[in-house]
Amino acid sequence: MEKNYIIAGFGGQGVLFAGKIIANAFMLAGKNVTWYPCYGAEMRGGTVNCEIVVSDDEVSSVHKQDVDCVIALNQLSFDRFISKIKKGGRIVCNSSLIKETRPRTDIDYIFAPMTDKAIEFGNHKLANMVSLGVLSNVETVLNISILEKAIDMVLPESRKKLLHTNIDAVKLGIDKETISL
Amino acid sequence: MQVFSIPKSMKENAKFTFCPGCDHGIAVRLVAELLDEMDLKEKTILAASIGCSVFLYDFLDIDSIEAPHGRAMAEATGVKRARPDKFVFTYQGDGDFASIGLAESTHAALRAENLTGICINNTTYGMTGGQHGPTTLIGQKTTTSPMGRFRETYGYPIRIAEHIALCEGTAFSARVALDTVPHINQAKKALRKAFQVQLDGLGYGFVEILSTCPTNWKMTPDEAHERVKNEMIPVFPLGIFKDVTDISE
Amino acid sequence: MESYSDKQLIKGNYAIAEAAVKAGCECYFGYPITPQTEIGEYLSQRMYDLKRGYVCAESELAAINMVIGAVSTGAKAMTSSSSCAVALMQEGLSYACADELPVVLVNVMRAGPGLGYIYPAQGDYYQAVYGGGNGDYKITVLAPSTVQECIDLTYRAFYLAQKWRNPTMILADGLLGQMMEPASYGEYPYPEIDNSSWALTGAKNREGRAIYSCARDEDKQNEHIRHLFRKYELIAKEDTDWEEFNTEDADIILIAFGSMTRNIKAAMKVLRAQGLKVGAFRPITLSPFPTNRLNQLADNVDRFITVEMNMGQMVNDVKLAVNGKAEVDLINRPVGQWLSVEEIVEGVKQIISKGVQYASI
Repeated sequence: MEKNYIIAGFGGQGVLFAGKIIANAFMLAGKNVTWYPCYGAEMRGGTVNCEIVVSDDEVSSVHKQDVDCVIALNQLSFDRFISKIKKGGRIVCNSSLIKETRPRTDIDYIFAPMTDKAIEFGNHKLANMVSLGVLSNVETVLNISILEKAIDMVLPESRKKLLHTNIDAVKLGIDKETISL
Repeated sequence: MQVFSIPKSMKENAKFTFCPGCDHGIAVRLVAELLDEMDLKEKTILAASIGCSVFLYDFLDIDSIEAPHGRAMAEATGVKRARPDKFVFTYQGDGDFASIGLAESTHAALRAENLTGICINNTTYGMTGGQHGPTTLIGQKTTTSPMGRFRETYGYPIRIAEHIALCEGTAFSARVALDTVPHINQAKKALRKAFQVQLDGLGYGFVEILSTCPTNWKMTPDEAHERVKNEMIPVFPLGIFKDVTDISE
Repeated sequence: MESYSDKQLIKGNYAIAEAAVKAGCECYFGYPITPQTEIGEYLSQRMYDLKRGYVCAESELAAINMVIGAVSTGAKAMTSSSSCAVALMQEGLSYACADELPVVLVNVMRAGPGLGYIYPAQGDYYQAVYGGGNGDYKITVLAPSTVQECIDLTYRAFYLAQKWRNPTMILADGLLGQMMEPASYGEYPYPEIDNSSWALTGAKNREGRAIYSCARDEDKQNEHIRHLFRKYELIAKEDTDWEEFNTEDADIILIAFGSMTRNIKAAMKVLRAQGLKVGAFRPITLSPFPTNRLNQLADNVDRFITVEMNMGQMVNDVKLAVNGKAEVDLINRPVGQWLSVEEIVEGVKQIISKGVQYASI
């Protein structure tokens, strides 16, 4: 069983960081995993994304043609990746910055106002953490206790004081009232 | 009483292969004397260069590594960073130091590497047979400037010692000549200082030595030394351009 | 399933950098270029903390020669770069081979020719294996395929460089340099090599030592080059390395190097499930190349298909190894997005059904 995830957004939305948390969480769950970012000039200003491949077996390919699950934090990412999602796949959308449209009928949609929730919480930069919480509702492996450990692993020592803030933001995303399916 | 001996830092049966009248022999001898006098032979590593200076390891009984053309200062940097307790110097021609190797030479000075650079300036590429180089004088005829160096095509020669003196990491930079005995004595003093600043950890020590190339200049040794005095020194003035140990400055 | 209790997610570039530290690298010299810049960034702090040598070199020309200077003293030293800038280091590699110096060099490949761009490619196979320096020489080339191997083969590169006194290259690519994967460092597993017989330490209680390649005596130079090539034969005999999967009954063997290995193994599984007897082969050392093993395999295999992110470079070494005993084909894309498992499967089918020898995707 192999599954891949792409998380995408603006530079500054913490997309690579959130992707590392997803990768670490699956590693903690005993899966084989790879994390691969877009890199270089794209990182400076435009959209950023990274791909996480999770497998019970050896990961077959680090960068795949299509994708099981996309987490889109802005409209550009939604537009760019919607066509790459496998039939029966899923897109998790930040409805604060993405219009709630459903151009394909063969995939699942989850909309949640991640940036609005993060602003209410006190910091718009935590939208990425909210997105992990939203994802957690549909990915049973990514439960809160494993995400807590993963966040702890990814946060550098110098920013460990932000651990609980990050975890609380994830919990906001888990709150089912924020989601529209 | 013994009044003359070969420095310990020179190989016993070393025979210079430099052309008759070339000043390289004097310069190498000065280096060897200083290695003896400053008791450096056993801790010295030389980064040798390409040009007439290439065979230095035939004459000096010290550890040495050859460098590709122009890269002596990079190799010397590698040696010194790996073994900061060693005495490390380069001995290069003007083409090696100031043309193909100008970036390495300049950046070693800017990094304040504790290294000593010695550059033999004879206004030509000697080993390849006397071509126009970075220090060729305006008007000088070479095999690649047979009409004489002129600005429109060849631009101007570089004043190396002044250039190195401008680098903040340079502790000592001087230009000397070997055309007279007083100048030779001054040269040895300058070299000693360039060695000492390295030992004291003050930064980059550098000496440019104006030198003859009778073969390629098509001159006798005496005529060549006259040229140093009459043509080179006016363009490349002798002196100390930087000395961080001189408090009067 | 493997336990990850001792593993952490590590980026390929950082894996190489920290493995170099653990291998005892005393000096690093480098110049920034994407996609390997993290190696120099990481080591700038790490080497400073450890009081080891670090220089932001003024150019790759300087960087490789700084490594030459450092290793000439018996120290372990390394530089890292990418493709078009590794081109600048070719002169240094020729010198280091001639001077028999244990230089360690990392190439995290990007696209070429010329400036190319920063996305990954495998176009430097020739540059690494055949070199761009002058004269007869060979460097040792190791090609990691996973982040764990970025660690393991960096350890091995330092060991082989010392063991054979020969420049050794870790040939990675942008994908491997930028990706993260669970891996663990363990300990540097190799013995230290005594280099006291040749290292420059100052002429104390002995004659001065000169390390140089200038060869005025033609007879001596003939002997020196023969000596180098006897050494290269020994390296080939003792340290050629590869891995192979399902080759026992294979009619077709897919061959890839570096991070493409993962994809051909996956393609092999898909094709096996469809009833084709497909195996996979992957050289770990590109130089020396596992020529003999491929030649043996060719006795029982109909077809070898190399899968490369270039216009077909390793395929020619496979042809030399197979020496006409079997068909040798190529599936390739010049640069960029790695050939997917689906594309490789499709390419194999095209080659089998149409008899085409070249499936450029």
